[in-house]
Amino acid sequence: MSKDSIRHFIATELAADGAKTEIADNDQLLEQGIIDSFGIMTLLGFLEEKFSVHIEGDDLTPENFSSIGTISALIDRKAGLSAGA
Amino acid sequence: MNFALNEEQLEIRDSIIRFARQELAECGEGNEFPRAAWQKCAEMQLMALPFPEAYGGCGADFLTTVVATQAFGYACKDAGLVHAVCTQLLCGMQINSFGSEELKRRYLPPLMRGEKIFAQAITEAGSGSDALSMRSRAEHAADGFLLNGTKIFISNGPIADIVLVFAVTNPEVSRISGLSCLIVEKGMTGFSQCPPMAKMGLDTLQNGELVFADCAVPTENLVGSEGQGAILFNESMEWERCLLPAAHLGTLERVMETCVAYAKGRPAFGQPISKFQAVSSKIVEMKIALELGRLILYKVATSKDQHKRAALEASIAKLYISEALKQTCLDAVQIHGGYGYMQEYDVERDLRDSIAATIYSGTSEMQQNIISRFMGL
Ligand SMILES: Cc1cc2nc3c(=O)[nH]c(=O)nc-3n(C[C@H](O)[C@H](O)[C@H](O)COP(=O)(O)OP(=O)(O)OC[C@H]3O[C@@H](n4cnc5c(N)ncnc54)[C@H](O)[C@@H]3O)c2cc1C
Repeated sequence: MSKDSIRHFIATELAADGAKTEIADNDQLLEQGIIDSFGIMTLLGFLEEKFSVHIEGDDLTPENFSSIGTISALIDRKAGLSAGA
Repeated sequence: MNFALNEEQLEIRDSIIRFARQELAECGEGNEFPRAAWQKCAEMQLMALPFPEAYGGCGADFLTTVVATQAFGYACKDAGLVHAVCTQLLCGMQINSFGSEELKRRYLPPLMRGEKIFAQAITEAGSGSDALSMRSRAEHAADGFLLNGTKIFISNGPIADIVLVFAVTNPEVSRISGLSCLIVEKGMTGFSQCPPMAKMGLDTLQNGELVFADCAVPTENLVGSEGQGAILFNESMEWERCLLPAAHLGTLERVMETCVAYAKGRPAFGQPISKFQAVSSKIVEMKIALELGRLILYKVATSKDQHKRAALEASIAKLYISEALKQTCLDAVQIHGGYGYMQEYDVERDLRDSIAATIYSGTSEMQQNIISRFMGL
């Protein structure tokens, strides 16, 4: 569920010039240039609002944003933490 | 939505205005760094405001810090000193948000007491707006990194004891993953500070080149994790694009009040010049900028206190307030006529000081690019 909405957001809002519409879970978003440094800012805003999480400090690593899989895992972890709190 | 400041914020604002008027009135002559005034600012806890009490800070929220900085920019005519203090705060905020417990314990107390002067070094001769294309390189070495490169225009750089340096740690990956932030201390081998560069304004602010030649930096001086530099930079820009504009908005208010007083007291053609619409319209624009600037500024600060992102709003605040300050200062000189051009009147210096506001912390053109990207353009 979270993966699909993340994928949709990246494909429609961030992928440079909309050239990349099919993004697989393991596609390297930063290394393949699908997301640039500005795109990270936009993505963070989207994730925090959509999933009601705060992503700060130690969680703000490039590894956590390297693919749809890692982003989704981060969100699941954060959402799990806030649900358990 | 509540547009009123609370009692504590009003109290802090008023005490900073009183402090700056009493203690810093003479400050800003010449182009030396005003060490005595700097120390007074530290004693006033201006450098401790947003930091946790556990480290000796005041534990103030970001909105309160912004209100305090605005008051400081309003009452202290030495914009160079104001900028130096803001730089100190911004370095501390990066350490506080991303640094290890050890780094916080080591650096926050002397930062807050003003004992150590801090600087942040991103810009290089070949990369300013395109900051991430920096070439400074930190290679892995025994027990840490070997840093090579040169930074330029660095505020507090020539006098800094501690510098947060951004450099490439992994050239094989994209710049978003390949930069890191390292703390370099004065006295480390391979680190040298060039003399201050002569500038148009902000006379007391010391800006210059920093050279790193095989400078050995221990691993524990990494702020955040390796590769986190670009993200850390993005994050810190949100605070920076709120804190520096806060000082600018304070200055704008002071300059506006100076213009009101002057326009009401200067007669021409048998009446005060404030009665001429061509003059009063300029001052009206200042008032509008003050009110609108305050709204966007406090919106950014409140968002940060709510742990929300505010990159778009911070860029709007930075762009709007810095351009408004520059226009206000230009108009102030015009309203003062020939006197405005003379150094005897403060508005001449305010104008020179204001020009850099649309350049540092991302130029106005870069803020427009960011806003346009956020709008999906
Ligand atoms: C007083 C002062 C204090 C400073 N303090 C610090 C500090 O403490 N630490 C630090 O690291 N740096 C500092 N700087 C450096 C500052 O951040 C840079 O000067 C600034 O980012 C611009 O970079 P540049 O000078 O290389 O100009 P350039 O990037 O070369 O820009 C030149 C012109 O081209 C325009 N331009 C460039 N790219 C684009 C684009 N994509 N679209 C539209 N226009 C564009 C710019 O807007 C500008 O008008 C300071 C500078 C000043 C003046």
